[in-house]
Amino acid sequence: MLIGGKVAVVCGYGDVGKGCAESLRGQGARVIVTEIDPICALQAAMDGYQVTTLDEVVGIADIFVTTTGNKDIIMAADMAKMKHQAIVGNIGHFDNEIDMAGLAKIPGIVKDEVKPQVHTWTFPDGKTLIVLSEGRLLNLGNATGHPSFVMSNSFADQTLAQIELFTKPEEYPVGVYTLPKHLDEKVARLHLDALGVKLTTLTQSQADYIGVNVDGPYKAEQYRY
Amino acid sequence: MTSLNAGDFKVADLSLAAFGRKEIQLAEHEMPGLMAIRKEYAAAQPLAGARITGSLHMTVQTAVLIETLAALGADVRWCSCNIFSTQDHAAAAIAVGPNGTPEDPQGIPVFAWKGETLEEYWWCTEQALTWPGFSGPNMILDDGGDATLLVHKGVEFEKAGAAPDPSTADSDEFRIILELLNRTLKETPKKWTEVASEIKGVTEETTTGVHRLYEMHRDGNLLFPAINVNDAVTKSKFDNKYGCRHSLVDGINRATTC
Repeated sequence: MLIGGKVAVVCGYGDVGKGCAESLRGQGARVIVTEIDPICALQAAMDGYQVTTLDEVVGIADIFVTTTGNKDIIMAADMAKMKHQAIVGNIGHFDNEIDMAGLAKIPGIVKDEVKPQVHTWTFPDGKTLIVLSEGRLLNLGNATGHPSFVMSNSFADQTLAQIELFTKPEEYPVGVYTLPKHLDEKVARLHLDALGVKLTTLTQSQADYIGVNVDGPYKAEQYRY
Repeated sequence: MTSLNAGDFKVADLSLAAFGRKEIQLAEHEMPGLMAIRKEYAAAQPLAGARITGSLHMTVQTAVLIETLAALGADVRWCSCNIFSTQDHAAAAIAVGPNGTPEDPQGIPVFAWKGETLEEYWWCTEQALTWPGFSGPNMILDDGGDATLLVHKGVEFEKAGAAPDPSTADSDEFRIILELLNRTLKETPKKWTEVASEIKGVTEETTTGVHRLYEMHRDGNLLFPAINVNDAVTKSKFDNKYGCRHSLVDGINRATTC
């Protein structure tokens, strides 16, 4: 389906939702966002997206993507109101964002496999929905997940976190920690050369002025990037 | 590398290994962070002695991660964290290894294929958490928290002396987990307690898994330390955002272009 010109609903405007909304807009879709968090809703609005409830737009959109990490986002009753051949997919970690069990329970509904991980669900009145990866994360089910360069960042973080916990158990009593900021900055630094990025270096006097070391970390823990 | 025992991995098709290896080699160039870490720590071998169970989408990119952990000295076993996310050629290449052949696989024990049933999925998770001779991992690398969940539920039920009846589960998936843990309780009643006692920590990849970890810690149930990798800035502000910006339309296009 050509994405350009279509109406796409992105449920959730966290980091994943932000990437998804930009992705669809980049293809020329008119993107509508749903949110429960006033901060993320305001971000979406300031980024130029219409923000409204699913109920308001469920009958006009062509593509629906759940990104929330929560459950019960698109229910069977919502899907019953969608347009013929609307596409429904999820990119959140678990398969509880789209009510697949409820969809299967609609009397007379028929599921048919177009190809692996692409199914049509035909309602008794003939309306058909296209459901991707049976409601599981579609970027990995229907494609091959994120590209290498971005995963190099995530997996460099993973590797350094494994080394931290394995080699310094005394520094990590039972609890949940984030990666020390100097390692976070190190991972970013390791990816600059490949993109031809030239960093500017702080002078000692500039570093003193903002109260950081010339070699980092450059931001306070509460900084949000 | 020594040869893998026939029963100590399960993938869809080993003959895909050469294709997988070609894509792994292309990916290595696009993963400068991981390759720089391999180089930096090659001599120090900081993960020597680590037995890492990984539960994370068995893709080409993950293959580069797995071989990085091994290059740093770790003994690794792997499963995918989603029934549809494995790239079968990547899994084959990991099992065969850079120096093995499909006839003589010499790589890393991996239990993953695209299109697992839920029963198979949890069997794979159990295999990745079980070293031959019944010892378990001393580190977990998790994505979504399923490996961590299985260990924690196992310990909880072993402490109680029994696992709930699978027919009482509120979902199909939890019923399968309960069936698995009822079986291990019968076969090796202290399996998960012993596994957990050796685990030094878990590093968690994603928002959902991190949420589970904070809840377990709040309730006093977390058994070992955890690093929330998801909230590294170079993870969630990049992978979650720019990764999805790329792979969402990739998925929609591959699924619906006709």
